[in-house]
Amino acid sequence: MFVAPIAYSQQNEQLNLEDEAILSDEIIFDDNLFDNVFDEQPNDGPDSWLEGFTFSVSQQFYGQVNNHSVEPLPGFSFPRQAEMENNRLGINIRYQNGFAPGWLIQASGQTRTYWKHDYEHEANNKNIDAEYRINEFFLQRSFDQHSIKFGRQTVVWGETVGNSVLDVINHFEFRDLTIIDIEDARLNQWMVVWDYFGAGSNWSSFVNLYPEFNPASVRGSPFFFEPEFNLTDYKRDGEALAEVGTQWRKSFDRSDISFMAAYLYENQLRYEDPVSAIGDAVAKKNDFLLLGFSANRAIGRLLLNFDLAFSHNVLADSFNFPGTTALSSPLDLKKDQIGTSFGFEWAVDNEQSLSLGIQAQKMLDEDEGLLPGQQLFNQGVFGSWLVRYSNILLNSDLTLSSTLQGDLNGDSLLALLGVNYTINDNWAVDAQIISINATSDSPLVFFDEDLRVGMTITYSY
Amino acid sequence: MIATSLRLLIGSIFLGVCFSSVLAQDLTGFDIMKLADDAQRQTNDSSFNRMQLSSCKFGVTDGRITCADRPRVKSLESVAKNYGPELKDTKSVTVTLEPAAERGIGMLSYTYDETDRDNETWLYLSALGRVKRLASGDSDEDTEPASLFGSEFTTEDTETGKLEEYTFNILEETTTAGREVWKVEMIPNEERAKKTRYSRQVHYVDKERHVVLRSEMYDQYEKEVKRLMASRVELVNDIWMSRSLTMMNLVTNRLSNMAFVEIYTDLDIEDEFLSQRTLTDAAYRETELEKLRAQLN
Repeated sequence: MFVAPIAYSQQNEQLNLEDEAILSDEIIFDDNLFDNVFDEQPNDGPDSWLEGFTFSVSQQFYGQVNNHSVEPLPGFSFPRQAEMENNRLGINIRYQNGFAPGWLIQASGQTRTYWKHDYEHEANNKNIDAEYRINEFFLQRSFDQHSIKFGRQTVVWGETVGNSVLDVINHFEFRDLTIIDIEDARLNQWMVVWDYFGAGSNWSSFVNLYPEFNPASVRGSPFFFEPEFNLTDYKRDGEALAEVGTQWRKSFDRSDISFMAAYLYENQLRYEDPVSAIGDAVAKKNDFLLLGFSANRAIGRLLLNFDLAFSHNVLADSFNFPGTTALSSPLDLKKDQIGTSFGFEWAVDNEQSLSLGIQAQKMLDEDEGLLPGQQLFNQGVFGSWLVRYSNILLNSDLTLSSTLQGDLNGDSLLALLGVNYTINDNWAVDAQIISINATSDSPLVFFDEDLRVGMTITYSY
Repeated sequence: MIATSLRLLIGSIFLGVCFSSVLAQDLTGFDIMKLADDAQRQTNDSSFNRMQLSSCKFGVTDGRITCADRPRVKSLESVAKNYGPELKDTKSVTVTLEPAAERGIGMLSYTYDETDRDNETWLYLSALGRVKRLASGDSDEDTEPASLFGSEFTTEDTETGKLEEYTFNILEETTTAGREVWKVEMIPNEERAKKTRYSRQVHYVDKERHVVLRSEMYDQYEKEVKRLMASRVELVNDIWMSRSLTMMNLVTNRLSNMAFVEIYTDLDIEDEFLSQRTLTDAAYRETELEKLRAQLN
């Protein structure tokens, strides 16, 4: 039997890597090199409930570094000074425990502490501020072909990565420009989700017991602008709201397809001036029906994605852009909308991948109900495109990524370059550069020529 | 790519380390590798493994091989089952237990023996919130070697079959680590040479147990670029296999150890477990894994 010992040296020990030593015939080693993995006694008893915890602590620095001026309207410009926007410590906690056969509890939460120069610190009268939030918190029961989850969770529909027209179940918050991926911006809601796993296909249905809406911009954040009236959350006044939906999904050889239907509220509230012209803006909700279809098709290293959405009775004048809010306009129309998102993901090789997603939407019967001279805010075809590229290097320790994002009219371009380096099993460093260019036709014009640089260091255990 | 890596890891992790216990005194090199191939499928079928994959930069100090930095450790749990008329297709599920930053990442892979049928892979990340099909490439025939979980093991080091694409020579009968071995040379044919990173490989096969105790991989300049060493050879379900494999990359001076902390085969695994449900339904997954563990007692 081939046995023998390798020793684990001290970090700073001088190493001899001469070929003669490496290539000698009888290199012997033992398994004690890696923490005596075989000597550990198998854990036949129940796992400690504490083993379900995962923690990560991160410190983030982020700032706009380009001194320049912005001219959103001809003759009206204002300066944009280089300044730090984010200086914050975050703690994320995740817990999962299958505490009994067929039962599972899962929860995750986060805290954020805002230090000096963070925009939240500035908005808090230059005092250190802290924030706490529960993300996931659900109880799951699985039996036979069924699974039922109750609690805070997300439901994601659609195949196109990053900008699917069907990814509208959960609300989201693009609080600042450190969050530009919807995967990071999605917020959990209180729901009951029932999954049925059939022999050849699956059903997944949900009831949202407390529909929530995209929060207004946080005071002090880059997205915040001083509104004429304070923007608040929707005032329910005891009104019971609910959303329901169902999805049928089937996998074929090289392909998956889904059909879905839902009764939903638009995530983005619509704000109107208060009747008495004093007080808070009036937040209005809007319910609509969604019918959808999605599919993918794998062809070798290429994966094609397609989503189709038909929305009945959406607000025609909704103004929906990350981090901003819908303000009232002269129109108050409900219309049907057709939307599609499609794209591809291409595994260039084992380390590189490239993906493209295009989202396009259009109101049906645009002119119906309009007065002469009136025009919809989203007239014609509107939408966005997204390109992502990543390259994995150094035995997966280093990931280079880039994202380009823009609107279909070519009025804005957001470019991101990212580097993620895993130092060891606990420590990782992430750095980003984000550049924005926009014309005066784009809501992003206020960020035109902004250049942001940021870094986050994370310790996980 | 990780999808490919996982697929092959589960399908054929034992790298010809496990051989049938059939006596093979007059076997050719090809015969030995054929036995290995069959044995690998046998060890892979209806299996449940818990693995630890540790990697570090290495050197030699005072004649001893040492880790020069803190080892990177990944802990994985996997379940696999073979299908098809000759049990040459494999369905597998792998879940990452450690490190903490990757905990809970699940991968479902269907690998098909037919060269014109694409393998299929689905990934579940909690951040994605859904199961996602991956563009994982064609069958093994067309994929280029990729690192397994960032380790020094590559898909090429762990794959089985393709024996017809090699020629074999038994170089000598000798001893290594106190065991009598055959020293078998394995040279790729012209077609295979386009896909492999090695110009030839030399395997040291235990004569009695038919386990590869050591392998040397050479590049086109006849320089030894990697070396595999096996230990903890044990009888598992009447098959001798190594529970600890160490791959040394002699170019980068990194090594990786693949430790099979737990290996169980011939388990009664429900077909439904090897489906997308296992990725998304954690309560179901944990319950079924408990049932598998119960079979071990």
